[in-house]
Amino acid sequence: MRSSLGNLVVKEIKELLRDPKILLGMVLMPLLIFPIMGFAINISQTAVEESVKAASIALLDLDGKPAAQNLTRFLENNQYNIKIVKVDTSSAEEALESLKETNITVLLVIPADFSDDLANGSKGKLNVYVIFRRVSMAETGRSEMADFLLSKYEESLVKETVEKEFSNPETVLNPIDVSYSTVIKGETFNVDPRALSIVVISQSIMFPMAIMMLLIFGMQIAATSIAIEKEEKTLETLLTLPVGRLSILTGKLGGSVVVAAAGAVATIVGVNFYSGSIFGGEIPAVDLQALGLAPSMGGYLLLGVIIFITIVSALALAVCIAVFTENVRSAQSLIGYLYIPIMVPSMILMFADIDILPTAVQIVLYAIPYTHSIIATKAAFIGDYTTMAISIAYISIFTVAVLYVAARIFTSEKVVTGRISSRRWKLKR
Amino acid sequence: MGLTDFAIESRDLVKNYGNIRALTGLSFRVRRGEIYGLIGPNGAGKTTTLRIISTLIKPTSGSARVFGFNVEKEAPKVRKLISYLPEEAGAYRNLSGREYLEFMAAFYAGDEEARSMVEEAVEISGLEDRVRDRVKSYSKGMNRRLLVARALMIKPKLAILDEPTSGLDVVHAYYVRRIIREYVEKHGVTVLLSSHNMLEVDFLCGRVALINEGKIAGEGSPSELKSKYNVPNLEEAFMEATRRA
Repeated sequence: MRSSLGNLVVKEIKELLRDPKILLGMVLMPLLIFPIMGFAINISQTAVEESVKAASIALLDLDGKPAAQNLTRFLENNQYNIKIVKVDTSSAEEALESLKETNITVLLVIPADFSDDLANGSKGKLNVYVIFRRVSMAETGRSEMADFLLSKYEESLVKETVEKEFSNPETVLNPIDVSYSTVIKGETFNVDPRALSIVVISQSIMFPMAIMMLLIFGMQIAATSIAIEKEEKTLETLLTLPVGRLSILTGKLGGSVVVAAAGAVATIVGVNFYSGSIFGGEIPAVDLQALGLAPSMGGYLLLGVIIFITIVSALALAVCIAVFTENVRSAQSLIGYLYIPIMVPSMILMFADIDILPTAVQIVLYAIPYTHSIIATKAAFIGDYTTMAISIAYISIFTVAVLYVAARIFTSEKVVTGRISSRRWKLKR
Repeated sequence: MGLTDFAIESRDLVKNYGNIRALTGLSFRVRRGEIYGLIGPNGAGKTTTLRIISTLIKPTSGSARVFGFNVEKEAPKVRKLISYLPEEAGAYRNLSGREYLEFMAAFYAGDEEARSMVEEAVEISGLEDRVRDRVKSYSKGMNRRLLVARALMIKPKLAILDEPTSGLDVVHAYYVRRIIREYVEKHGVTVLLSSHNMLEVDFLCGRVALINEGKIAGEGSPSELKSKYNVPNLEEAFMEATRRA
């Protein structure tokens, strides 16, 4: 025989997961929408790259002397498959006019005194014209292509000059060889900190986002779960059953946690595909565990505790509000206000540590309980258990307070009669 | 008659919602095994009375007992004895009719007995194969039949039915009234119901309380009330009772 609480939790999960709005919107959509977004961005990135590769540069040589010929040869023999199209006009204006009917968007002009300037030891001047026909990444990519080729040419000129004067041209050109190491908790690792920072940044964005998603999903689900009961008028029946009101509340929270977790996992999987499509191969493989930058078993355990407590408090808060609404729509719009104290700390702490923020901002953030789940997550990665313990204590106090209020509401008649409407309490007979 | 000889005994029930007084000293007693009806216009206090008896809300003053248990102080004990059917209640839309009945039965009995309750409820509801379908596909009448079956399947000592046939067509309303009456006769369940429908009350109830403005304007069997006010039906009896009050 299933316990009353088990019966309630199973009913909640069935009822929520069979609701097409919840199943599609919170579980299936993130699994689909993020990979589709990543795929779309990937397609456009590839298209831009292909478009840049297929692009041509028009070249107008108004000089014709040796240095100009040398540059022309360099450009024509480039190893990057960039096609050079020579233009035979007497001025840049005419050349631009002749390009109107073509797809070429970059014109490189070698002025008449280019070779003479170089021969006299002066800087050789070149003019690049970029024709913007559309506003797109492909257009800017093409202009960078000319810049890239010219910088390669400049390097070859410098190298040629240095080789004439020095026996060790490589040392002259790159006189310093830097070796990078990373020191963590007093221990030195042969890991490039730049590579490490990319990994740490990706983690520090991922975790606050995952927590934010989990809380938002959970609140939506808990609010919907209560509001459906009110809308379908099933709550009154439920409250007259021989089962404790606190069991009903716990059943609601339990079912919502399970469904919210499914939604959060779907989102993380979806986002993972999304970032994999966009940053594919850019995030280096660094073993954070070996560097002591991944939580220990104890750290993971504390992390689990803090995330669980945070979710319970968020769901209880959502239930406290949703219980006073009459339908799902009004519940969800009211719950929307609660997203602010969740999203603001998440967004700020994705990109900055709390210590570097202005004091006033720090005070506000520390006062928001949901900030602490993110701070604790970051602390878990560096093994800062004191910070985690403080965060757990703060969120626990808040959670107990919210649960107390939720329990009071559920054991009072307000659960039946209370209404929030037009900023006033309305009591229904 | 001892206190527990009554299924319900309410004394001077008063209920205020803010400045609005919904009940103004309502007293009535319901005998075991009878069907007792509360009739009156909208806002008379019928639903408030049923909600107090079913432990959903508390009276501002006065008291109510169900089989001797105080609805305020001994609410968990009262909930084991009652089955409440709110007006226009729904079932869980994404569960099937059978799953809904199984969910409800599990609060009252172990696996074996719960299964038997569910089978009986399926029979009472008359939903047959449709009981396997999701509730959201049911018509209003089917939904109400499911809920009445849910309320009766546990064989409560007291069934509290708020407008059991509200909004139903003639066929479904007839079906619901018939199953209430048959079930009460078969199992000796006490029923407290509210209704706007005087024909329904006349058909179902052994005794009736005419409620107006939060208090009882008249009480008795339908025939006693008609005879007392010398009128042909309960509707006119109600009008006469409220006029005299």
